[in-house]
Amino acid sequence: MSETASGSADKSVQVKLVLLGEAAVGKSSVVLRFVSNEFQPNKEPTIGAAFLTQKCRLEDRILRYEIWDTAGQERFHSLAPMYYRNAQAAVVVYDVTKASSLEKAKSWVKELQRQANPNIVIALAGNKVDLVQPSASSPSAASHSESEDEADDATATPGETAGTAGEPESLRQVPREEAQAYATEAGLLFFETSAKTGEGIVDIFTEIAKKIPIEHILAASRGGSGRPGASGGRTDSTRQQGVNLEENATKGKDACNC
Amino acid sequence: MSIISTALRHFKEPTKEQLTEIFFSIPSLDLSVEGSSQNDEQDKMDINAVLSLGEEEDSYAGKLHIMPPYLAFSSLDKKSVRFTIPLSTIRRVERLNARAGVYALSLLTWHGMKIIVQLTSLRPTADLFCSILRDALKVELQRGQMKQVKSFAKTCYSEVLVSDCSNAADNEHEDGSLITDEKDGSIQDVSYHGGLGLKFKFPGDAKKLREASKIKLWTTYLRNHGRNLTLLRYPQCTRLVQVGLPNRLRGEMWETLSGSIYLRFSNPGYYERLLEENKGTTNTSTDDIEKDLHRSLPEYAGYQSEEGINALRRVLRAYSYKNPELGYCQAMNILTAAILIYMSEEQAFWLLEVLCGRLLPGYYAPSMHGTLLDQRVFESLVQKHLPIIHEHFQLVDVQLSVASLPWFLSLYINSMPMVFAFRIVDCFLCMGPKVLFQVGLAILKINGEQLLQIQDDGGFLNLMRDYFASLGHSAHPTSSDPRARAITVFQELLLVSFREFSVITEDLILSERRRFRGEIIHSIESFAKRGAVRNLRSLGRFNKEQVGLIYDALYKAMCIVPPPPAAAPSPSLFTTGDGHEEKPETRIGLRTFRQFLSEIASWARDEKIVMNGFQQRIDREVAEHEFIDRLFYFWDTGCHGALSFQDLVSGLDGVMFNDLMENIEWFFNLHDKNKDGFLTKDEVLTLSESFLFIFRYEIGDAYLGAVSRFMTNAFEYGDALLPQPETTFEDGSSPQIASNQPYLNLATFRMVVLADEVLESFFETDLSESFKLQPLPEMELPSAHNGILGDLWSSIATDSNKKMFNMFTDEIGKTIGKHQVVNKPSIGRYTKLEEPKARESLLTPTLRKSLSRLSLGSISAASTVATSSSSTLSVNTTLELPKTHAIVPDSASLSAMPMLQAVNAAALMERTPFAIDDARDDDDDDEDEVLDGHDDQVMDEVDAFLEAHDSGLSEADKAVANDLLHAEPLK
Ligand SMILES: Nc1nc2c(ncn2[C@@H]2O[C@H](COP(=O)(O)OP(=O)(O)OP(=O)(O)O)[C@@H](O)[C@H]2O)c(=O)[nH]1
Ligand SMILES: [Mg+2]
Repeated sequence: MSETASGSADKSVQVKLVLLGEAAVGKSSVVLRFVSNEFQPNKEPTIGAAFLTQKCRLEDRILRYEIWDTAGQERFHSLAPMYYRNAQAAVVVYDVTKASSLEKAKSWVKELQRQANPNIVIALAGNKVDLVQPSASSPSAASHSESEDEADDATATPGETAGTAGEPESLRQVPREEAQAYATEAGLLFFETSAKTGEGIVDIFTEIAKKIPIEHILAASRGGSGRPGASGGRTDSTRQQGVNLEENATKGKDACNC
Repeated sequence: MSIISTALRHFKEPTKEQLTEIFFSIPSLDLSVEGSSQNDEQDKMDINAVLSLGEEEDSYAGKLHIMPPYLAFSSLDKKSVRFTIPLSTIRRVERLNARAGVYALSLLTWHGMKIIVQLTSLRPTADLFCSILRDALKVELQRGQMKQVKSFAKTCYSEVLVSDCSNAADNEHEDGSLITDEKDGSIQDVSYHGGLGLKFKFPGDAKKLREASKIKLWTTYLRNHGRNLTLLRYPQCTRLVQVGLPNRLRGEMWETLSGSIYLRFSNPGYYERLLEENKGTTNTSTDDIEKDLHRSLPEYAGYQSEEGINALRRVLRAYSYKNPELGYCQAMNILTAAILIYMSEEQAFWLLEVLCGRLLPGYYAPSMHGTLLDQRVFESLVQKHLPIIHEHFQLVDVQLSVASLPWFLSLYINSMPMVFAFRIVDCFLCMGPKVLFQVGLAILKINGEQLLQIQDDGGFLNLMRDYFASLGHSAHPTSSDPRARAITVFQELLLVSFREFSVITEDLILSERRRFRGEIIHSIESFAKRGAVRNLRSLGRFNKEQVGLIYDALYKAMCIVPPPPAAAPSPSLFTTGDGHEEKPETRIGLRTFRQFLSEIASWARDEKIVMNGFQQRIDREVAEHEFIDRLFYFWDTGCHGALSFQDLVSGLDGVMFNDLMENIEWFFNLHDKNKDGFLTKDEVLTLSESFLFIFRYEIGDAYLGAVSRFMTNAFEYGDALLPQPETTFEDGSSPQIASNQPYLNLATFRMVVLADEVLESFFETDLSESFKLQPLPEMELPSAHNGILGDLWSSIATDSNKKMFNMFTDEIGKTIGKHQVVNKPSIGRYTKLEEPKARESLLTPTLRKSLSRLSLGSISAASTVATSSSSTLSVNTTLELPKTHAIVPDSASLSAMPMLQAVNAAALMERTPFAIDDARDDDDDDEDEVLDGHDDQVMDEVDAFLEAHDSGLSEADKAVANDLLHAEPLK
């Protein structure tokens, strides 16, 4: 156990990241894609919050993301502070096919900027871009099995007809430019993503990793005596995660695959 | 931008009577939709009684309650034996011929079961009880409820089980599936309710679950102890529930144990009608529900079909129609999807009603206060019972709720494999909410040693996830005893829950909830406040603190004068409109606004300073005047007929930071109704009235003079500056102008105002300063008091009692000639400087009268104490005193009670932490059932839950009770 402690203190940096956003915009799906490179068409709503971890290599550093995926429904709002307290990063997700979800995202950003850790790095993610892309240009998700795609038709998303719709752009309710402009103004990282195809997912986490003041965190965690090392139980699950990561690495998109 | 809800302020602790109803799962009256509320005048009564049932059950002493239309019994320990049966299922009542001095009744139920109750109270009490019972039975007969029973019973699977027991049991394979030879199944008209499981299979391996053995045991139990509406719960019933209900019977037992069956019974057809009446209507809940339909237990086959999805949609929608305030909350979809596997839609609907209303109160409400409250309670229980874990969590800053909140919110369905979660649900519905706490504590205790190793929230969650994944494993894999090896981690969990945490009682949970309710409401409210402030589009020139004070004033006003529903539709009712994604927002109407403004603007309230020799106080009333109404519409820039928080902030911003010129313009615009830049003659008059209103309590006639000078000048200048018209002059004096034509412009108005020193100073500073944002005294939370002492104090410190006290002292003050009432001036500037003499002379009532007659109508004079603004303040503080006094004992009792409880609990809870009882340790096993192999296993499990049950009877009492079994009815 002491070995783990010294090892992680040197090399890996823990980053607490929280996902926020309206219900059903795809927060859990984004995390699932990032952590295990999967997509489940019918994901159960998150109750309270889910917790996952994923490692991410940045140059010579290894970041260990501790991801808190929160529930989106408005009435769970009052629970959110429990999850975003001490978070160093946040991904605020909206659904590009739903204008109201951007409004909600904005109010989350506002809340984070006022109530959360002052140095928090915030990324804005417009999810479900696959729904507004013409099927031809949509990067085909090699990892998906047929059955998954079929089951997709059963999702509640209206108007989704397996990419055959004549003008997929008509589904779009949030123009990229508008969201980009807002993100720039509010000082956020910005991405359009699809948990379904995987587009843009890894990039969010890579860019966050670059922007995080790692030295700062390291100094803080070295100074703080609170967390000397991982417990037995956690070492186990970390190892499990590691397996997943290597799978990811073979698909190698960029720096963030570990 | 946000909803401000004062709902939590209206919470009332249940009365003792309500608690009894809750205990017996009796639907509260407002739930009964059939207009059966005329019953509420009927007598309720309870009486000491001894219950006997046939030879094989012990007799139990307890209390028999008549609560029309129900008869209920509970043994003295409140857990061994109990029943709640509708009176309409009682078919015959006979007084038994027994030994002298013994008063006993025999009750025959619809199921042919004979219950004997010996009424052990005094004879007259017993007579009274019997007459109430007789009357209540008559009423039921007249209502025709008796006839309902038969058709209702047909909807119950237990009837099928019992009717041809030989068949029913043999009809089933060991795997629980029915042998489908329809040879006689179709002949009896079987129309029992069941869930999706009947078609899509029940989760879990029926063989492993030993379904057939369980069915057999239950069939026997139900035959001898009644079923569905007439079920009597003896210790055996609870134990059978603890080993897991058989899938086919589960739905019905859920509704029977939870009491939702009474709702279904007394509201036939309600569910279908509700759906029919609301067909095609949509609201925010329907949208939210739609989003989650495919996200509810998606791995279960039933929810991969339209049939399952449609059932889920209908039940969730029906509930949101029934309870629009609650609407729909995520997690309800999972719960409903789960119960629909075992229950029909109608059954599920009523169970959902009981879950959301009684069993999980406030869990799914928009503020989720119940969830937060129970998390707080859970935390305090962990602190008490698992202090080492609690300490460690504090040390490493781990929040218990990150794991435990979903446990409670989804009844563990979201956390554990379904088969196990359903067994917790079995126990929960049978024994009540305490089960959630007991299981939670047991989980922590069992994992105690590892929990002490965790360093953060993440580690905690990982540990829990691994533990839940292991529930099916053997708890003692290395044990040499095969029986010990057969015990699963899950069985061990239940044993620890119910054995080691039997101190967690329903009463304890209730009192802990009472203890923390105030704290939770406070934190929810301050969270809502921060959100509301943050979500404002603009703070104007206010800082956050100031806006917070505006919010407080608004909140207080909303508590006192709740906005009409039309002005602030409840969030779930608010339709998001066609495409306009307008967010629902709280808006207040005129009446609430007046209340609000009276908190902030000195002239918007009538304050009387009362002195009676004992106390000095300010009696405050909300002023009503056209000026205030005018302000309301002036600030309603969006023309909603109601004001939002933002409107109030912007409105106040528009006046509180003004300088002289801006104030003059503001006042002008306020009275320029059509905003054409001109006041009409009428408007000049109303403007003057506004002045008079604001100045109504000023001392002396400086303001009165100023207003009359203003009027003279306004008309003079106004007339003079009129464009020389073509109209004819009639008598040469002034040009004729209709009272509603443009007359006075801003420049002229300004000139007129500035011509007068008094008005100038009013606009210079006084107007802006008449608005003051002050911290409001903390409002009393719904009683967070504990025990008798708390109740006592809270009843003394009510508002009405304070009023009575005030009246009382006033009366005495009057008799001793010390009673004095003066109006407090709103501005109070000139009192000292200009009117020292007038002020003194005013003290004689006659002079005051004549003066007020002098003053134009509404100006009445005031005097004495509050002469300058600084002295106003001091008056204020002294006047707060009596109130503070009244509250002091309150807070003392608040802090004392928990201490006492903590001491008690510490005394109770002396035990070594983490010592897990050997699950085989059946030292209190006193039952020798002879059963075949399969059933034996189940019984082993059943026995594990054996507890000593106290019948509360002496040997002699038991003999009497036994005799009664053979007694003949009286002639
Ligand atoms: N087409 C498409 N569908 C997606 C995408 N991401 C998520 N979804 C679907 O959207 C629905 C909601 O996804 P979730 O990940 O559960 O959403 P969430 O934000 O976690 O929802 P809550 O937990 O309720 O707050 C699911 O049915 C997903 O399959 C995406 O990128 N493209
Ligand atoms: Mg989610």
